[in-house]
Amino acid sequence: MIKKIKIAFFSLMSLALVTSAYADLTFVSWGGAYTAAQQKGYINDWNGKVNVENYNGGLGEIKAQVEAGNVTWDVVDILPDQAVTGCDEGLFLKLDQSEFIDDMIAGPVSECVVPQIFWAYTAFFDNKAFPGKKPKTIKDFFNVKKFPGKRAIHTWANATMEMALVADGVKKKDVYKVLGTPEGVDRAFAKLDTIKDHVIFWSAGSKPLEMVSSGEAVMALAYNGRIGAAIMTDGKDFGYIWDATVLEQEYLAIPRGTKNEAEARKFVAYAAKAESLAGVTKHITYAPMRKSALKVVQKGEPWYHTGVDVMPHVPTNKKIIKKAIIADPVWWADNGAEISERFGAWKGN
Amino acid sequence: MSGTTKTEILTTDGVPLKDSLKKAERKNKIRATLLVLPLLLFIFFTFIVPIGSMLTRSTDDSYINKVFPNTFKVYQKWDRQGLPPEEVYAAMFLEVKNASGFEIGKASTRMNYAKSGWKSMIKKSKRKFKKIDVNDGPFKDKMIEIDKKWADKEFWLALGVMVDPTTYEYYFNAIDKKYDSEKNVIDQPENRQIYVKTWIKTFKVSILVTFFCLMLGYPIAYLLATLPLKYSNLLMICVLLPFWTSLLVRIVVWMVILQQKGVFNNLMVISGLIADENRWQLMYNQTGTIIVMTQILLPFMVLPLYSVMKTISPNYMRAALNLGASPLHAFWKIYMPNSVPGISAGGMLVFVIAIGYFITPELVGGKDGQMIGNWIGYHLKTTLNWGLSAALGGILLAIMTVLYWVYNKLVGIENIKLG
Repeated sequence: MIKKIKIAFFSLMSLALVTSAYADLTFVSWGGAYTAAQQKGYINDWNGKVNVENYNGGLGEIKAQVEAGNVTWDVVDILPDQAVTGCDEGLFLKLDQSEFIDDMIAGPVSECVVPQIFWAYTAFFDNKAFPGKKPKTIKDFFNVKKFPGKRAIHTWANATMEMALVADGVKKKDVYKVLGTPEGVDRAFAKLDTIKDHVIFWSAGSKPLEMVSSGEAVMALAYNGRIGAAIMTDGKDFGYIWDATVLEQEYLAIPRGTKNEAEARKFVAYAAKAESLAGVTKHITYAPMRKSALKVVQKGEPWYHTGVDVMPHVPTNKKIIKKAIIADPVWWADNGAEISERFGAWKGN
Repeated sequence: MSGTTKTEILTTDGVPLKDSLKKAERKNKIRATLLVLPLLLFIFFTFIVPIGSMLTRSTDDSYINKVFPNTFKVYQKWDRQGLPPEEVYAAMFLEVKNASGFEIGKASTRMNYAKSGWKSMIKKSKRKFKKIDVNDGPFKDKMIEIDKKWADKEFWLALGVMVDPTTYEYYFNAIDKKYDSEKNVIDQPENRQIYVKTWIKTFKVSILVTFFCLMLGYPIAYLLATLPLKYSNLLMICVLLPFWTSLLVRIVVWMVILQQKGVFNNLMVISGLIADENRWQLMYNQTGTIIVMTQILLPFMVLPLYSVMKTISPNYMRAALNLGASPLHAFWKIYMPNSVPGISAGGMLVFVIAIGYFITPELVGGKDGQMIGNWIGYHLKTTLNWGLSAALGGILLAIMTVLYWVYNKLVGIENIKLG
C-alpha cells in the first residue's frame, strides 16, 4: 500500500515537473466578457499555450511578485494610470513600440505598454422610463428636474469628476485644465452635490445594467461594453448618452522578472496587432486603440459576432469620439489618491 | 560545604539524582521542541516575517533620502521664507538628472503622497533636464521655465516631511493628520478627512453586527443545545449550509432581496405597508452592509455558543424552577451566567472578523458602507501607498491585540471553541 502511494506521489511530482518545464504563458486580465473577447479575438489563435487568469486590477499583486523575485504573471492587462505608476516604479519591462507608435488614436502613456482597447464610462437610460423626451447630453444626466429618477454611478471618482465639469458648462478640451486648479475640483464636487440625493452607487460592472433593467434607477453610468452587450445580445431597450463619455485606455504590460520574457515579448507584439485588436471588438464593443484596427472593423461590417453592425456602439467612432473626453492618466496618477479620499468623504456625508 | 554533599542523593552510577533528572528532562524538552519546530518555522516564515516586514513600511522613509541625499541636506538650511535658494535647486537638478529612471519614478510616487502633482513634475523634469548641461548653472530659472510648479512654494514645503529616514507621518495620515514643513502635526484639509470617520464607522458596524449576531444567534444556539437530537441535527444543518455556501453567492442573493425593486420591498408594497414611491433603501449603504455581514458572520456566533450551552446541565434550570424561581428569573440567574464564556467567545470572533471585513462592504457598501479594510485595499492596489496601508493595518492589529489582551484577562482565551 505504502509503495503504491509512493509511486503515485512520485509520478505526480514528475508530472508537475514536466508540465512546468514547458512553461505556458500566464496572461492575467479582468475576466468576464472582456477577457472572453480577448480569448476569442486573438489568444486562441496564438501558437502557444496561454493560461488565462483573472485579477481585480491594481498593482498590488504585481508589486508583491516583483519585490519577492517570484514573478508568475507573464503578461498583465492594466489601466493607464497604473501603467504610468508601474513603469515608474520599475515593475514593468520596457517594450518595443515602433510597430504601432504612429498608429495610435491616443497614447501610449508609457514606454512599458502595448495597446489594447479604449473602454468608456458611458451614461445610458431606459427608453421605457422616458416615453416622451429622451435625455441627450450629460447636462440632462445631471438635471433631476427635467428627467426625474435615480442615477446609478460607481463608488469611485474616475469619470464622474470630468462629467460633472462638462455638465457645469466646461468645454471638453478644458476639463483637465480646470481640474488642475483647486477651484476646478471644488466646482466638480459642487455639481455632484446637485444630484447627490438622487444617486445610488454600484461597484460591480454588471450592477448598473441590472439597476436600470429592474427600474431601481432610470439612468446609470456603466462600462460601454456592458451596455453594448445588453442592447445587442440581450435585446434591452437602452439608449446611450454619448455626450462627455470618458474614454479610458487599456494596455498590456510584462512584469519585470518574468521567466518567459522572450515568449512574452513575442506574445504582446502579436496581441497589439491591428487584427488582434479588431478581433476583440468582434466580441465586445470596446474600441481598438489603433487607427488601422478601426479600419479593419469598418471594412468588415457587419463585424459583431452576432452579425450586426458594431460601429454605432464603438466609442472611437468618428461621430462619438468628438463628443468624448479621453481620460488623462497623468492627471489621475498625480491626483488620484487625493480625489479618492475626497470622493469617499463626499459620498459618505 | 561538606554538609550539602552529605545530604545529596546519588543514583546507582554515583551521579547526583538532580543532574540525572535534568538530563532526562532535557531530552524530553528537545524532543518536544523538535516536534513543534516545523509548525513554529511555518508560522514564523508565513506569518510573523511578512507581517513584520509589512509593518516596517509604515515608518520607513529611507528610499527618498537615498535618492535625494544632497537636496535634503541643503534643504534643511532653507528658512522657509520665499522660494528656496539656488543651492537647493541645483542639488535637486543634479540628483534628478543623475538618478536612474526607476529611482526617480519610485521617489516621485513617494513625493506625490505629500503633495499631489510631484509625480508628473519630476517625470517631466527628468525628461527635459537631459538637455541642460550640468555646468550650465544657475538652474533655478531654467527649472521654473520647464515647469512653473518649481516656483510653487507649496511643493517645496511638502518636501520637509520626508527629510528623515524614519517617519510617523503614515500613522498621522491614518487619523487625518499630517506634518507641515517643520514636522509639526496639523490637520488634513477638511474635505480630505476620511479616516477618522471610517474608523468610527468600522467600529460602529462591527459592534452592531456583533450585537445582532448575538441577538439572533443566542436563541438558535439554545434550541440547538436543548432540542431532541432529531430536530437539533436538522437545525444544525440549517446553520451550516449557508456557512458552506459561497460568500459571493450569498451577497448577490441579498442584493436581489434587499434592493429597492427587490423581493422585500415588493412584498412591503404589495401588502400595503409602504407606498410605492417610498421604497426603503436597504442596499448599497451602511444598512445593507450590516444586514449582509450579520448573516455571513452568524455561524461564528452560533457555534461557540452552542459548544458552551451543550455543557450546561438541564438539572440547574430544573433545580432553580423547583426552588420557586420564575422561568425568566431562572434563565437570567442560572442559564445566562453559565453561557457567558460562549457569548464572549462568539462576540470576540465575530467582532475580530467584522472589523477587518473587506468584500461585503466593497460590494454592498455603496454610499457609506465602506470600512477601513476597503481603504487598506485601495492603497495597497491602486495608489501603491503601502506605507499608509501598513499604518492602517498596524493600527487595526494594535486594536485587536488590546482586545485580545482584555478578553484574555476577563474571560480567558481557552474558552474559545468552535464546536
